[in-house]
Amino acid sequence: MSTPIRQWVEVRSIRQAAQETWWMVLHAPEIAAAAVPGQFLMVGLGLTQVGAPFLPRPFSVGWRDRATGSVGLLIREFGAGTRRLARLRHGDQLLLLGPLGRGFHIPADRPIVCVGGGVGLAPFLFLAAETRDSAAEVRLLYGERTAERVFDPALIAELTGVEPSVYTEDGSIGRHGLVLDGIDVSDDPVLLGCGPTLMLNALEKFARERGSDLQVSVEEHMGCGIGTCQGCVVRGVDDTWLKSCTEGPVFGAGELAWPI
Amino acid sequence: MADLTQTVLGVDWQSPVLLASGTCGYGEEYAELIPLDRIGGLVTKAVSLEPRMGNPPHRVAETPGGMINAIGLQNVGLSAFIRDKLPWLRENLSRARVLINVVGHTERDFVEVVAGLDDQSGFIGFEINVSCPNVKDGTLFGADPEALAKLVAALRLATERPLVVKLTPNVPDIGLYARICEQNGADGLSAINTFPGMLIDIDRRRPVIGNVSGGVSGPAILPMGVYLAWRARQATSLPIIGIGGIRSGSDALQYILAGATLIQVGTALFVDPQVAIQIHQEIDDYCERNRVTLRQLVGALEIPGDPA
Repeated sequence: MSTPIRQWVEVRSIRQAAQETWWMVLHAPEIAAAAVPGQFLMVGLGLTQVGAPFLPRPFSVGWRDRATGSVGLLIREFGAGTRRLARLRHGDQLLLLGPLGRGFHIPADRPIVCVGGGVGLAPFLFLAAETRDSAAEVRLLYGERTAERVFDPALIAELTGVEPSVYTEDGSIGRHGLVLDGIDVSDDPVLLGCGPTLMLNALEKFARERGSDLQVSVEEHMGCGIGTCQGCVVRGVDDTWLKSCTEGPVFGAGELAWPI
Repeated sequence: MADLTQTVLGVDWQSPVLLASGTCGYGEEYAELIPLDRIGGLVTKAVSLEPRMGNPPHRVAETPGGMINAIGLQNVGLSAFIRDKLPWLRENLSRARVLINVVGHTERDFVEVVAGLDDQSGFIGFEINVSCPNVKDGTLFGADPEALAKLVAALRLATERPLVVKLTPNVPDIGLYARICEQNGADGLSAINTFPGMLIDIDRRRPVIGNVSGGVSGPAILPMGVYLAWRARQATSLPIIGIGGIRSGSDALQYILAGATLIQVGTALFVDPQVAIQIHQEIDDYCERNRVTLRQLVGALEIPGDPA
């Protein structure tokens, strides 16, 4: 793992990608160069203000472009902090700490099925873009509740070179149903999951019943991002607490106590 | 550069800025982000006799102007601390001073941890945590005058190293507890620990924090911390380490003018790890501008109408 970088960076662009959902591109060359898929950044506004977000928020590295020094973040408005971040504009400054945490372990010789629910899509944009030339095959399954929430599939294809299979619970766009419905394990793929806890629990059950390898990226409230505060724990299989910031955020399914 | 040096707790300090217990791990975690040997020092995560598991999640959440936490003193325990954590502090810090934060369920727990560490090297003294609001018996000693007196007296017999007691703000008169610490042999006071608090998720109708309640920290508690550090200053002549809501040099200087010789920065580190260095620099700039040394500022608060 590389040394995390603490750096003020500039917002290069921000565009609305779906309802309450934004695609932000930052100018952060060192972080862009160092990040691996599944790692995250602590994103904040610094100490000169105390409004939300006061504490930095963890975001998956959603994409990077080494040539231009760009890093992409997928931001959904969940509360006052993320709403404020979504209102930033070109030229605004953000304080970053990262890249942080343990990324996905990506095998070179097996197909990869990425299962992203909601903004759990973010790490897979980065992963698909990075691995499409090296991995055997990358399949991208992406689920949302309704059409309004679906991150523009054309932008996904542009960023990653992979056509996503989109699922909505109400069938208003893409295929009708849950993202799990689209998983094909016939060629013994490695499953990678990121999304709401309910989805991850269902995915773990699915993988266990079929004997599939699964890695998941978890999310928990976070304080420091670097392992000191021990705020972001998830329960491990041996009943110890694991820090999602430094021991994760990506875990092998066998490391965690399910359901999480 | 102004003169920010002091002799406190029997040792020389190059800077009044320390990292607070629970926010800087055992030092190593921040080594790549903070030049630790340029600040005053750090206070370790609490060390208990046996390892502690800590509380279920969520353990932290943002509050207006700060955060609430209920980690539950998760730590590796005395033996693993000596084996795995203390060597790094000993080998990697030369100018930064280390206090070890100590916690226990019983008086005997506290004494055993202090006695077990006393002949080790790599630290100058102890910060006794009698004020954690996030575990069942966390303030058992800090809010009970008799128990606190007994505990401090027992610890005094267990070590000759500096003993700093970290006070809880959750008492009617902090001065009473400050005096008890002084009378029973403490060498200093940290004022203050977090305030007990609670945050409710109205959609789920449940507490946000797994432990139900937690300790509130961050800029929101700055004025309460400054007030309580000042109250403690009135009550004793012990050196006071000011802590609570500090995120800038001017915040730190409020504590110093109120009578603190050293200060600790905690929650603000999570927002920006560079804050400790920045606070040191801002205190330096203030002293330069006002042509004073840090020593001249400690307790230099002037209250109009008070006889000088």
